[in-house]
Amino acid sequence: MSLEQFKNRNVGTQNYVKLDLAHTPTTGWGQFKQVVGRTFKPELFVGLWVTFREMGNALVGGKMHTTQYPFEKLPISPRYRAIHDMLRLMESGNYRCIGCGLCEKICISNCISMETKYDENQRKEVSEYTINFGRCIFCGYCAEVCPELAIVHGPRYETASEQRASFSLFEDMLTPIDKLNLQQEYDGFGAISPNADENIKPTPLAY
Amino acid sequence: MMSSIRDIEAKAINVTIDGKSCSAIYGQTILEIARENEIYIPTMCYLTKTLPIASCRMCIVDVEGVDGAILSCQEKATDGAVITTNNQELFKERQSIMKLYNVNHPLECGVCDKSGECDLQNKTMEFGVSGQNFTTKEPHRPVQNWGVISYDPALCIMCEKCVRVSTEITGDEALKVKFGGYSSTIENVKQDKNYKTLGEAAAVCPVGALVDSRFKYSSNAWELTQIPSTCPHCGGGHDVIYEVKKGEIYRVSNTAEFSTLCSASRYGFDIANRDVVKDEIAFQSALKAFESAKTIIFSNEVSNEEAYILQKLKESRGYKLISHEARAFQKFMNSYGTITGKSLYGGSLKELSNSRAVIVVGTRVNDDAPIVKYHINMASKWHRARVAYMHPIEDSELKNIVTQFIKYEAGSEEGVVALLADTLLKECELPQNIRDILDELDIGNLSAECNVGEEELEALEKSLLKKSRFSLVVGADLYAHPRAENIAKLLALLEKYAGFNVICIPPAGNGMGISQICDLDDDIEGSTIGYNVKGDFTLSSFGDGDLDMPSFTQQEGTLTSLDKRVTSLNVVLDYGGYVLNDLANSLGLNSEYTIDYTKDLPLFKGFKAIEFDSLTNYFDAKGNEHRGYILDEVEVGLDTSIEDIAEMSAFDGTVVYNCNPQEHFSPLTALSDNLIKDAYLLGSQQFATASKLKDGDTIRYTIDSVKFERVFKIDTSLKGTIALNPLFDMGLSTALLSSYRFSKVDLERVGS
Repeated sequence: MSLEQFKNRNVGTQNYVKLDLAHTPTTGWGQFKQVVGRTFKPELFVGLWVTFREMGNALVGGKMHTTQYPFEKLPISPRYRAIHDMLRLMESGNYRCIGCGLCEKICISNCISMETKYDENQRKEVSEYTINFGRCIFCGYCAEVCPELAIVHGPRYETASEQRASFSLFEDMLTPIDKLNLQQEYDGFGAISPNADENIKPTPLAY
Repeated sequence: MMSSIRDIEAKAINVTIDGKSCSAIYGQTILEIARENEIYIPTMCYLTKTLPIASCRMCIVDVEGVDGAILSCQEKATDGAVITTNNQELFKERQSIMKLYNVNHPLECGVCDKSGECDLQNKTMEFGVSGQNFTTKEPHRPVQNWGVISYDPALCIMCEKCVRVSTEITGDEALKVKFGGYSSTIENVKQDKNYKTLGEAAAVCPVGALVDSRFKYSSNAWELTQIPSTCPHCGGGHDVIYEVKKGEIYRVSNTAEFSTLCSASRYGFDIANRDVVKDEIAFQSALKAFESAKTIIFSNEVSNEEAYILQKLKESRGYKLISHEARAFQKFMNSYGTITGKSLYGGSLKELSNSRAVIVVGTRVNDDAPIVKYHINMASKWHRARVAYMHPIEDSELKNIVTQFIKYEAGSEEGVVALLADTLLKECELPQNIRDILDELDIGNLSAECNVGEEELEALEKSLLKKSRFSLVVGADLYAHPRAENIAKLLALLEKYAGFNVICIPPAGNGMGISQICDLDDDIEGSTIGYNVKGDFTLSSFGDGDLDMPSFTQQEGTLTSLDKRVTSLNVVLDYGGYVLNDLANSLGLNSEYTIDYTKDLPLFKGFKAIEFDSLTNYFDAKGNEHRGYILDEVEVGLDTSIEDIAEMSAFDGTVVYNCNPQEHFSPLTALSDNLIKDAYLLGSQQFATASKLKDGDTIRYTIDSVKFERVFKIDTSLKGTIALNPLFDMGLSTALLSSYRFSKVDLERVGS
């Protein structure tokens, strides 16, 4: 059933099917006969058989219908905003973060903390970066303000751990270098709009 | 001719700016008047503390009846002028300027240190420049590292503020403009000198072109908490703003529009007595030591309130108070006051920068008090002031401002000062007894003994002939001189009778405050308590004493500056230990906090009964300094008798001069990792030959019973036979060195 059909409330203009229900008995004998008939009907076993058959399918036939969480996880919407990911540049593998500190500034629960330094390549290097997930409210401002799409929200939604620190370090959020080819471009909060190219005005070049 | 400082009659004028009637003084520029009246005129290159630069043209205004726009920063207002600061055309003009500034400006605000406090960012927003309309080919311009600062030409907007500061204020003259149209850059023509004063040039950079190498990329401006305070190092009372994050000082800034720091204040901020806890045992033994001690000996690294606590302890328990340098200064000033009738010298730094002639005597001013050198430099650059530098050792760093170097023999200061007084007071009206003394001077003999030629004095006299507004800068060589008191009297004549603007550079640290507050003694008696000095029991804020004390960044208090200003220190870093006030409370005084004493500082010395919390610490938009208060002038009794000039002792043999390098003032600055750490005995080639030393020799010698072991280095910029001996690295012994700054020493070579 499509959404349009579901939302159509004009009763009478649609093809309703009437269920063929038996008449409710009116006499005492009739009611007695109904009770006895339902009690001794073998339909009970029909139901039990279905359960038994599915058990067999699941255990032996390999057709399990439940998800074995936490060993198995269901795919979630790409727009889901959970634990942050730090992305890398696809070409060089360097992390995208330039250490501008805007996420630290915009964070309304003050859970991002970073330190930067001047590195030997005359660039600004992030030397410390932590997010305190005990305080993070997953508002998404950090991902929105990031000029480099370096910090984004990922699909990892478990915020329970023995230690908060175990998943709040920069290295833990960073795409592992060996899984760079699996890194997904983020199209959620703060991502470039699909028509971004049309909106860019080129800088005049004299040469 | 020389009798008094010429007063320029101020003519009042009235101008109308944007419909507002403003009264002003003739000679003020339109921009100055507008700022005084809180009317906004945008500028990019204007820097209040220098002459107008006029490179940005943002400050253009319309004046009724004048064709075309006028640069308000350099145009003096005329009476009755009607001025418009903003209209459609002016806005368009300014917007175009901003568009040009933004041509190829790297879009790296995200990582730029200046982001958040950048003039270019602000004005780009203000004038709504959202894209780049013009273009040009960008030359390759790599980042250059100039020691304490680094320069990114790609970010530079060529406002020239840094060049002006380097030339007009700090006087290192290292930065120059390299002209070349769009490829113009700033260049450092004295890279080998590695001047720390370049930090002052970086402080005025409106964009991220000149940044502090050490601070670079370590924090965004908006993450830092700014705590205004006072620099404790040189005694100039610099307004420093400590910028703090997570319990660490990241950098020091200042109100660079109006004031300038010396390198110790700019970089010597990483000093604190850290990780101190209340050590009950040490505290009790300190109390015991106080019970048995007869003398408290302390260095200049003591705030006004601490000095006052020590004075109170002296009053209640009869300790002797010893602080050698401050005592010498105190005696000098007392003697000086008997001629002028005032307890302190009458000069000010502002007046010094406006003088037309400056005489410096008895101080290696560039190293002793860089802030005074800045002001002499300003006088030289703004008013082409004659600068006579009188000292036994020539200073190559002053070559560009000194017009006459007069060399005298070490130890002959009294004679030199007498000759100076005689030369400069020739045509002044003097009381008969003083005139008699000057007339009786045996000029020929004196000039021979001092080795100051009569023709040199004549030349000095002649060069001052057409000038007015004189300044005299006096330094520490004279305070510890055996004849200091007579020298003081002779110099005071110049202030009293020739109208000189005299500055007697007080000892670094809080020497000024101590000399005003404490009733100091000359001789040590019994066992001693040392405060920042080695004593039988030592209290130390350097971290190596028997009981820890807070450093200047860890306590509240006030300091008294060279400009006679009492300014406040604020707490910047944590401190967990005991303070002097705790000891004082256990010894019978009663005050909850150290700063409760601020209002009690002696009124009869010119201090004011103002609570610590009521002391302000800022500059207003006009550049007026609202920092603490200035000591009141105090009248003292006169005694115009002057003694005859004493026989001079000759300084033959190996002579060294106690003198710290420019960036160091005390053992406190020696703790800083940002400043040079190594201390060498520096001498000329001539000194090396005379004392049979080679570059790199390790030698031993003793001054004031403090033993030195130093490496000798030849400094090719030095001349003469006197070597420079730094003291800053001597820790708790530094303050024991108190005698006359030139000393004869026996050098003993170590090893070989």
